[in-house]
Amino acid sequence: MMVIFIAALFFGSACNKTEDPENKAGKLHLYFQHEIDSVPIEFDTLKYTNAAGNPYLVTEIQYFISDVVLYRNDKTQQLLDAGEDIHYVDTDLPETLTYKLTDDIVPGTFDSISFTFGINEVKNQSQLFVNPPESNMFWPELLGGGYHYMKLNGKWKDTGDTIRPFNFHMGIGQIYDTATGEITAYVQNYFRVSLPNSSFTISNAEELALTLVMDVNQWFEAPHNYDFNEWGGMIMQNQAAMQTARENGHNVFNLLKNNSK
Amino acid sequence: MKKCIKNGRGKNKALEMSRSFLFWLGLAFLFFSSCREKNTLEDDFKPTPYQIDIPFGFPTKLNIPEDNPMTVEGVKLGRFLFYDGRLSGRTHPDSLMSCATCHRQERSFEAGVDHPDFPGGFPHGLSGVQTHHVMLPMINLAWNLNGYGWSGFLYPENEMPYFRNIEDFVRLAVMAKDEIDGDTSRTKALIQSIPGYPELFRKAFGSEQVTFTNIGKAIAQFVRTLISANSRFDKYMKGEVQLSQSELNGYVLFTTEEGADCFHCHGGFGNPLFTTHLFYNNGKDSLFTDPMDRFLVTQDPMDRGAYKATTLRNIELTGPYMHDGRFATLEEVIGFYSQGLKPSPSVSPLMHHINDGGIQLTPSEKEDLLNFIKTLRDDEFLSNPDFAKPDKFPDED
Ligand code: HEC
Ligand code: HEC
Repeated sequence: MMVIFIAALFFGSACNKTEDPENKAGKLHLYFQHEIDSVPIEFDTLKYTNAAGNPYLVTEIQYFISDVVLYRNDKTQQLLDAGEDIHYVDTDLPETLTYKLTDDIVPGTFDSISFTFGINEVKNQSQLFVNPPESNMFWPELLGGGYHYMKLNGKWKDTGDTIRPFNFHMGIGQIYDTATGEITAYVQNYFRVSLPNSSFTISNAEELALTLVMDVNQWFEAPHNYDFNEWGGMIMQNQAAMQTARENGHNVFNLLKNNSK
Repeated sequence: MKKCIKNGRGKNKALEMSRSFLFWLGLAFLFFSSCREKNTLEDDFKPTPYQIDIPFGFPTKLNIPEDNPMTVEGVKLGRFLFYDGRLSGRTHPDSLMSCATCHRQERSFEAGVDHPDFPGGFPHGLSGVQTHHVMLPMINLAWNLNGYGWSGFLYPENEMPYFRNIEDFVRLAVMAKDEIDGDTSRTKALIQSIPGYPELFRKAFGSEQVTFTNIGKAIAQFVRTLISANSRFDKYMKGEVQLSQSELNGYVLFTTEEGADCFHCHGGFGNPLFTTHLFYNNGKDSLFTDPMDRFLVTQDPMDRGAYKATTLRNIELTGPYMHDGRFATLEEVIGFYSQGLKPSPSVSPLMHHINDGGIQLTPSEKEDLLNFIKTLRDDEFLSNPDFAKPDKFPDED
């Protein structure tokens, strides 16, 4: 519903677009960066420690963001690229680290930007993506179907100094009947990330470049300390762990304003 | 694991090359045809486009090079060449070898453990030299965008022009000591001299002149038609048949993290190719001595011991298993994933049971998993007459 509402809002505003050459539409380009402690990640290197004190390394991060919304300082909002608004990011595939939104943006000043981490339940349907790399993110039917929101893969050193793999995978969660072990309900774990205080302006015909920086340590930090020794290496069938991840997820991104082109 | 090869940006170059090739071909052709009277090549060179139908759930992106569009005539010629032992460039009965000598339809185009000439399914070339690795199946290859061969050393963006696609595999197979051990000019000359072939080349490529490039193109076109997508599991996905309880249990094991967790690398409902076409170290060894693993291609130490996670379609027929054929049966493979894993620094994090030695399946779970994997066998493909050896070769009419 919300999506349709926002979409309607956007279409409304698109129709009122003026053809004034002095006021030419701008565009938004998003770039993705992945850091730990404010430094770009050195992959496959056991040199990081999370808040729970687990030494760890990261092998790859693969995830979807969708429904990018801009909030104008006059309190109106614009959903960008409705209909084609799911973007896949993969630290192994440089071409996925840029998301060029195609919708026109009327120049102005904006208070903030927000997006969905993962994919909302309306769109998160199996076989939405038949092509790789997105299709490799599929989430099994039995576990709720659709796609992984994220695969964050790596290894950590446990209390006995053994290196163990972790698959910090998020997607639709399941509630299991404790007696029979059967699934009784599914849980949508996607969430909105809002970046308040991220005001920026888009001027005439400008292609504004913004960088979304993910700080991986934040997944394990606030409000909950996420301890690998406690949760283990796999969480696709562990709603409590995914819930923890989701609550920590609100703080993992921050916004960097690049120099415009 | 690195999926992209960072220096590989040769696509435009390839295009440029093929363009200039076409330009020269065009020029040569103009020159040529002006000397001829009538019946110019242009007039009756109208190959029929060959349409690949995308099966249920399969990707729509195909790996078909721009300079080798699929045509009915090209596929027909390619099928003859694929099966014709004279591809070796020799005619003595002992020196015949074609792709089909090793790639057998009834074994999903592998040799299979029961190959009459390759005991245990370990092939060797005409010269007797054993192949460095065992076979890969030749099915659904048009959907592979990441790289052919166990290490993925042939990939579209490769800067080395002759190491990009199935077309190049043809040349490598003809020349390799451990395969046909021939030479391309001898093959080309022999095919040119066989009645019927020049006419087929004209129909497919517009010239009776046999070139090795066109031999490669025709065979590659045929190989791209080898599509397997009608197993019992496909019918189950489309709601046409029901699986047995044991098969369904196996499916659950296959696609759950707390079960056997095979799907992250081998696919499932959302990726019905049953391969990601990506490269992983799946925990077979702790020491790595094979110089032809994924490290060869990426030079990333984390790719030591990594190979392509092959498709599990028709897997029942394609032993021996793993790049070195260390397992003769699927029971052994499942036993390995269950209890035989070995840790190493480069093991894929997706092998998250590595420290427990494996997924620790019970005997009945092993049986269920095996029964599920067997639903991926596609009998219609294995006996499809379009993929079989032609009844007669062009000179036998
Ligand atoms: C002597 C046996 C032999 C012959 C003859 C042979 N092959 Fe192969 N083929 C192999 C082996 C072994 C592999 C696995 C190669 C590797 O080590 O990566 C293979 C792999 C392939 C692959 C890669 C499949 C994939 O999934 O990446 C293609 C394509 C292929 N062969 C095509 C051909 C063609 C076309 C011919 C005929 C021109 C041919 N082969 C002849 C043994 C053979
Ligand atoms: C981390 C990714 C990964 C996971 C998880 C995984 N595999 Fe594999 N699998 C591979 C790779 C890579 C190969 C090829 C390895 C080699 O040749 O050395 C392979 C090979 C195989 C083969 C032999 C294929 C052939 O053509 O020889 C079978 C069968 C197989 N896997 C079944 C399974 C089953 C069943 C599971 C779940 C219990 C599973 N795999 C889990 C990556 C994986």
